[in-house]
Amino acid sequence: MAARTSTKDPSAALRSWADEASRDKPEGARLVLEGAEAFGGETLRRWKLGNGLTVLVLVDSRAPVVAYHTWFRVGSRHERPGKTGLAHLFEHLMFGETEHLGAGVFDRKLEESGAETNAATWVDWTYYHELLPADRIKLAVTLEAERMQHLVLREPQVQSEKEVVANERRFRVEDDVEGLANEVLYKTAFVRHPLHWPTIGWMEDIGGFTPDDCAAFYRTYYAPNNATVVVVGDVRERDLLVAIRDAYGGIPRAVIPTEDVVPEGPQLGERRAEVTKPTASEKVVVAFKGPALGDADHCALTVLSEVLFGGRASRLYRSLVIDRELAIDARGWVSTFRDPGLFECWVTARGDHTGAEILPLLDEAFARVREDVVAEDELTRAKARLELGSLQQLETASGKAEQIGFFDTVLGDPAHAFRRVDAFRRTSAADLRRVARRYLVDSERTVLRVLREPPSAAGEAAP
Amino acid sequence: MSRERGRTPDPRRFDLGGGALGVFEPSHDVPLVSIVFALRGGSALDPAGKSGLARLALRMLRRGCEGMTAEEIDFRIDSLGAEMAVDTSSSTVGVHAQVIARNVDAFVDLLTRLLSTPAFPLDQLDRLKRETIAEIVEARDNDRVVAQKALQRTLFEGHAYGNNAGGTTQTVAAVTRDDVVAFCRRYLVRGNVVVGLAGDVTEDRATALAARLAQALAPGSAAPDDVPEPRPRAGRYLLVVDKPNRTQTQMVVGALGTSPGDDDHVALVVANAVFGGTFTSRLMREIRSKRGWAYGASSRAAIDRHRQAWVMSTFPSAQDCGPCLNLAIQLLDAWVTEGVTRREVAFIQRYLVRSHAFDVDTAAKRLHQALDVELFGLPGDYFSAWTDHVRAVTPESANAAIRNRIRPSDLLAVVVGTASQVLDPLREAIPDLAGASVVPFDAE
Repeated sequence: MAARTSTKDPSAALRSWADEASRDKPEGARLVLEGAEAFGGETLRRWKLGNGLTVLVLVDSRAPVVAYHTWFRVGSRHERPGKTGLAHLFEHLMFGETEHLGAGVFDRKLEESGAETNAATWVDWTYYHELLPADRIKLAVTLEAERMQHLVLREPQVQSEKEVVANERRFRVEDDVEGLANEVLYKTAFVRHPLHWPTIGWMEDIGGFTPDDCAAFYRTYYAPNNATVVVVGDVRERDLLVAIRDAYGGIPRAVIPTEDVVPEGPQLGERRAEVTKPTASEKVVVAFKGPALGDADHCALTVLSEVLFGGRASRLYRSLVIDRELAIDARGWVSTFRDPGLFECWVTARGDHTGAEILPLLDEAFARVREDVVAEDELTRAKARLELGSLQQLETASGKAEQIGFFDTVLGDPAHAFRRVDAFRRTSAADLRRVARRYLVDSERTVLRVLREPPSAAGEAAP
Repeated sequence: MSRERGRTPDPRRFDLGGGALGVFEPSHDVPLVSIVFALRGGSALDPAGKSGLARLALRMLRRGCEGMTAEEIDFRIDSLGAEMAVDTSSSTVGVHAQVIARNVDAFVDLLTRLLSTPAFPLDQLDRLKRETIAEIVEARDNDRVVAQKALQRTLFEGHAYGNNAGGTTQTVAAVTRDDVVAFCRRYLVRGNVVVGLAGDVTEDRATALAARLAQALAPGSAAPDDVPEPRPRAGRYLLVVDKPNRTQTQMVVGALGTSPGDDDHVALVVANAVFGGTFTSRLMREIRSKRGWAYGASSRAAIDRHRQAWVMSTFPSAQDCGPCLNLAIQLLDAWVTEGVTRREVAFIQRYLVRSHAFDVDTAAKRLHQALDVELFGLPGDYFSAWTDHVRAVTPESANAAIRNRIRPSDLLAVVVGTASQVLDPLREAIPDLAGASVVPFDAE
């Protein structure tokens, strides 16, 4: 006798439940199940409210916790010269007073529930995240809906957060060698695209923001049709969706401006820059123009970066750090932006060695991967490291929510993390040589050197 | 909206023979296995003038074994989809690894080989020492690390807890191959090891894998804990670590704190959380939220086998460093003399009890708690009954713990900044200052 199988379609049942849950509700509060797809061994469902809010739900009952992320499709790419850093300043302001919550109440309510909360801003996105005991999920729903529509933006709040952000900039840029080098690198490599300016903003711009600037930004970008809520954890999906419907359903849509980003355009010659800082070691950075995250070449170039820089057995780490002892560190990264970014190659010199000694060796290694195919065992090694890294990002509810939110916001593909692992597996040695020839082009690179200031002369005992 | 859940069972502990202990915590969420191979005793065991030895000795394990060079070992680790690092503190040093589950047997084969036939090649030790010294020099770029190291060595001057776990340029240079071999002969032995596994592996396999690792070692006994109880420094001192062209300062203020064996340990942890343990704590509220002087401000009570440091830290601009330090000390004085309120204690208890879910939401975290109990000599129910311990704290016991453990008259303030700019305002900021000194950031 054949085993009985169920023909019941869970999506069909949920659709009919959503129809029922939306009956007699205002248009903005109507729920629609847009689709479902596998996320590892689990099912990720995409819901949409009538006001445009996207909700991605992954029920994961393995720990009594829930990650609640709100991703807004706004970042430093939406700023303009003279107003840089506004998206990031706004991230700070979002933890302030709202019409129904006094100053500090947002954080206190979450802390009282044992929750952790924070936020981050970059080129393509801003996201807010809470990690809560699972039975506190409704608090996150209520608080996030409140600050999406009722934030208070007055002079004292804006002034205080400008001071905090200025201090954050001192910490991350002015007094941080790598932070400053990174800023100069992108400023030099991009002259038209918003990647030219730092997400934290230029110091003079941070000081100049007014409450009116902030209010206009809020009205423009902080709207349900510009956001995706990602929920991963031990929740009952229907209860969660009812809570979201009731909390967010009354928030009106906004007219999201058509994006006005200027493409960078071709680079026709190598660019060079230097920074001098009181640092223990020189650094040299070679950054080639690289593919966008959604480009089919992105995965192949990431594998190539791993062959060259990933771990102690990579070509350049072994050559520069271990064998020749010229460097203390060597690492590579292919930027993960919606638009084409950089393939960054960072080397920190050891002792009195200099970037000038290291640069020819980098060039030699780049020439080699353009000419020869990478050996099969090197390719296997690189892929194994990338698989390990991908799995490590999925160990917690927060990690899963971050992967889902990031890839959905940048590429519109929330399960893209798994497609990348498949793409890494398919990458061949020929692919690596092809992307090396396409992207490791001298006329499309920026070379940055960080030079040392003379050593410290301090040290006397204070009277 | 969540279902009721029972208490998470403690990780399974098992005897591996010869004094070795095994700990296992299963999880089949992600196809990964975490492996920890930890020794009882860490940088506190380093001989005088050779701080960094414990860390160097374990880092040498991947620098050559019978039949494999360092290069071959590195390549093999990567190719198995594994990573492996050495983690060192005062009371333990260990190898921490993670591997894709399908390769766990092959990885344990490799690790067993490294443990049972280490070669300690002299040329590799020399390379490792040069590499380590370069890392120490490079770390001077990180002002926060510079501040924390200066605080630890000054607060615990003359005590084993003042040893820098990574060593200094001088002490690392002084380590010889004989030192490394002697360390491993004495401490890398079966009776001194705890082996932990967590992740996507069955209990039977985990037990067998842990046993193979333990059996790779020679017999031997556990390291004694003969570290004396640290004593507080008397008076208020200021140490400015001078670094040119700073727009900001990194500021840490420390005193002797608590030991997990203290009766009032949890009470102090609760009181500390009120003072500087959360985003809405007193420190954060006064320094960041009200005045915008710094991006962050916090305090913590470190735990170890004996009393460790209690530290508050923040990083204001150079211009605000004097008023900020003065305010931090005023807040500290008020915390000790006036204590915490009933309302504050109730609030922070709810936070600590409810946030406990995130301390145990992965197998690796549960494993590390079990290992900490063993390696730091914590009470057996330190983590498993943590929420009960927290609930049992009263405002009275919290305030008694603060008064009993924290002496505002015995403080060390360490500030990394440009001395010509910050020394005078900092001196004025500390009432009853007993002494101040300036050292260059690149002295150690």
